Amino acid sequence: MMRSIQRKLPLFVTALLVAVAVVQLTVGYAKVRQASRKLIDQRLPLATKVLADLFQIGQGTARITALAKNPAIVAFLRSGGRTDREAALAAMRQLTNDTSTNAGLELRDFGGKLLLRTGRFAIVDSVLVSPSTDSARYGPFMRRDTTLFLAVAVAVSAAPGAGERSGGIVQQVARVTFNPQTPKALTGLAGGDISLFVGNASGDPWTDFGSLVPAPPQRVLTSRVPIVYERGGEMKRAAAAPVPGTPWMVVAEMPSRLVIAPARTYLFTMAPIAALIAIIGVLAAWWGSRRLTTPLVGVTRAAEAIASGNLEHRVPAGGDDELGRLARSFNTMADQVSRSHHHLETQVAQRTKALEGTNAELESFSYSVSHDLRAPLRAIHGFSRILLEDHNAKLDPEAQRLLGVIDQNTRRMGQLIDDLLAFSRLGRTDLSTGPVDMKELAQTVADEIQRNDNGRQGSLEIRIDPLPLARGDRGLLRQVMTNLLQNAAKFTRDRPSARIEVGSREDSGETVYFVKDNGAGFDARYADKLFGVFQRLHSTEQFDGTGVGLAIVKRIVQRHGGRVWAEGALNQGATFFFTLPGEER
Amino acid sequence: MQSHGVEILLVEDNANDAELTLRALKQRNLANQVFVCHDGAEALDFFANGEGPVPKVVLLDLKLPKVDGLEVLRRLKQDNRTKTIPVVVLTSSREEPDIERAYALGANSYIVKPVDFEAFARAVSDVGLYWLLLNHPPQ
Repeated sequence: MMRSIQRKLPLFVTALLVAVAVVQLTVGYAKVRQASRKLIDQRLPLATKVLADLFQIGQGTARITALAKNPAIVAFLRSGGRTDREAALAAMRQLTNDTSTNAGLELRDFGGKLLLRTGRFAIVDSVLVSPSTDSARYGPFMRRDTTLFLAVAVAVSAAPGAGERSGGIVQQVARVTFNPQTPKALTGLAGGDISLFVGNASGDPWTDFGSLVPAPPQRVLTSRVPIVYERGGEMKRAAAAPVPGTPWMVVAEMPSRLVIAPARTYLFTMAPIAALIAIIGVLAAWWGSRRLTTPLVGVTRAAEAIASGNLEHRVPAGGDDELGRLARSFNTMADQVSRSHHHLETQVAQRTKALEGTNAELESFSYSVSHDLRAPLRAIHGFSRILLEDHNAKLDPEAQRLLGVIDQNTRRMGQLIDDLLAFSRLGRTDLSTGPVDMKELAQTVADEIQRNDNGRQGSLEIRIDPLPLARGDRGLLRQVMTNLLQNAAKFTRDRPSARIEVGSREDSGETVYFVKDNGAGFDARYADKLFGVFQRLHSTEQFDGTGVGLAIVKRIVQRHGGRVWAEGALNQGATFFFTLPGEER
Repeated sequence: MQSHGVEILLVEDNANDAELTLRALKQRNLANQVFVCHDGAEALDFFANGEGPVPKVVLLDLKLPKVDGLEVLRRLKQDNRTKTIPVVVLTSSREEPDIERAYALGANSYIVKPVDFEAFARAVSDVGLYWLLLNHPPQ
C-alpha cells in the first residue's frame, strides 16, 4: 500500500502547499519590507521639511528687527558710535531687561568693530553674522561647555548720502534653552518613532532640542535621499534638509529595525495562517484522494479477484463520472472474459470427452488385438504342432519342413503382437516420477543380462561409469536400460571379446547418458530409422527381434522430456544416447 | 447334461482353444471329467439350480458371448454356494486392467494363454495338476 495513489496524492498536495506558502511568505515579507521602507523614506523628508518650516516662522527676530529701527540705535550706528550713545544703550537695556531669554546685545560697525554691548553674554569679538540687508539673519549655533548659543543680526543701513562707513549691525546672542520634554513632543508631532535634530550644516554643535548630541556624519547631511548610519550603537535611517535662510540643517531619523518591523509582523501573522491553510489543504487532499481512490481500489480488487480465478466478481458501479464509467467498462470486460472462459471450458470439456472416447476406443482396440489375434495364432500353432506330433509318420520331410515354417512364423507373430501391445500401452500409462539412481539401475539390468547371456562365443564385459541421478519413472527407465543393454548384448554376440560401456556426460546444462558397444553397429545413413516401430536394419536370420525395443526407448525418453539419438558405423559398434531431466541435489 | 463327476468346468467359446485345452489335459489324463460351457450364460446355468456337481476348478475365459467372464466370476464369488470353488482365469488378455479386475473379483489364478502350443499345453496341464491333485479344497 506504500506505493498507492491514496498516499501519494496528499503528499504531493502537501509539498505543493508548503512550497506555495514559503514562496508567498518570502515574497510578502520582501514586499512589506519594501513598502515599509518606502513609507519611511517619505516620512523622514516630510518631517525635516515640517521642522525646517517651523524655523522659518522666525518669531525670534521680531524684537531685534524692531530694535534696529529704533531712532537712537539708527542714529548711533549712522554716526559711527559717536552720538546718541546713552539713548541707544537705554533702548538696548530695555530689550535685554524685557526678555526672559538670557540674551546679550551688541552694536557693531560693518567692519565688525564692537561699538556697544549690553546683557550678560559676550561671545566673540568677531562679527558672527554679516547681514547686508536690514532683515534679521540667524548665525550658526555656538557652544560653550554645555551651553548652546545662537546669534541673530540685523543691519542698519547707512543714512542716505552718507559714506559707506556709516551704519552698522545690531546683533543678539541668545542662549538656547532646552526643555527635556521637547524631543518627545517633537517625536509625537512627527508621527512617532522619528527623532528630530538640528545643528550647523558645517558640523557641531547639534541638538535634539533636549540636549547636545554628536553631529551626524557629513554623508548624512549631504545625501539627498534617506540613508542608514550608526548612532549610539544602533542603525538609523536618516534624512537631512537645510533650513532656508540659515546655516542650519535638520535631520529626521528612525531606527532601521522599524523598517523591518511591519514585515516581521506580517510574517508572524501570516505564517500561522499559511500553516493552517496547508493543514486544511492536506486534509482536503487526503479526503479527496480517498474519495477518488476508493472506487479504484474496488476495481483493483475486482481485477485481482478475476486474475486469481473468481470470474464472477464485479465492481459496484455508481455515478456518471469517469470512475463510474471505468467501473461499468470493467464489468463489461469481466462479463466478456467470463463468457470466453465458459466457452473455453465447454470446448475443453467437449474435447476431453472426445479424447476420452478415442482413448476408450483405442483401449478396446488393443484389448481386441490382445484377445482376438492371439486365439487364431494359437490355433494355427497348436494344430500344426498336433499334425507334427500325431501324424508325423504320414508326412514327408518337405511337409514337415513347411509345418516348421508355420511354427516359426506363428511364434514370431505372437511376439510381434506382444511387443506392439507393450508399445501402445506406453502412451497410456501415467508417469510416477521420482529420483532414480541410474548407476544402480544400470548395474541391476547388466547383472540380469550377464546371467541370461546364452549362446555367446566370446566374453562379455559391461562397464558402468558413475552416473548422476535422474528424475523419472523408475519402471520405465529400467525398461529403457534393459532394451538398450539387451540390444548391445545382442549385437555383440559374435564378437570374441564384447565390451559394453554405460556412461554419461554433461552437455550444455543437460545430462546425456549413453550405452556404447563394440558390436555389429549400423549404417549411419539409416540412423533415423532405428527408432521407428518394426524398423530393423538387420535381417531376422542375423539378429532376432521385432524392431520395437528402440521405439519403446524413444517413446519413454520422450515422455520424460528427453531426446534419443544414435551414432555408429557398420561393424564398428554403436552408441545410443538419451537425455533426461536431472534430479536436483 | 453330464452332471456326474465333473472335476473341471471349462468355460471357453473358442472351439479350437477348447479342443487344445482338452488335448493338453488329456495327455495328463485329466480330461475324463471335464464339462465345457460355450458362453457365460451357459456357465451360470450350470450352477443355477444349486443341485449340480461341484467342480474342483473352473477354467474361465474372459471374452465370452452373452455374459462375459468377469461377470461370471463376479456372480460365482458373490454366491455363497459357489464362492469357494477355485476359479482360474485362462485368457489371451495380458492387459493390466483385466488382471486387476479379475483378482479384485476373487479370481484364484490368472493365466495368460501362450500362443506357443507347447507353452500353452504345459500351462494348462500344470493348472489341471495343481488344482485337481495338489490343492486341498474345503470339504
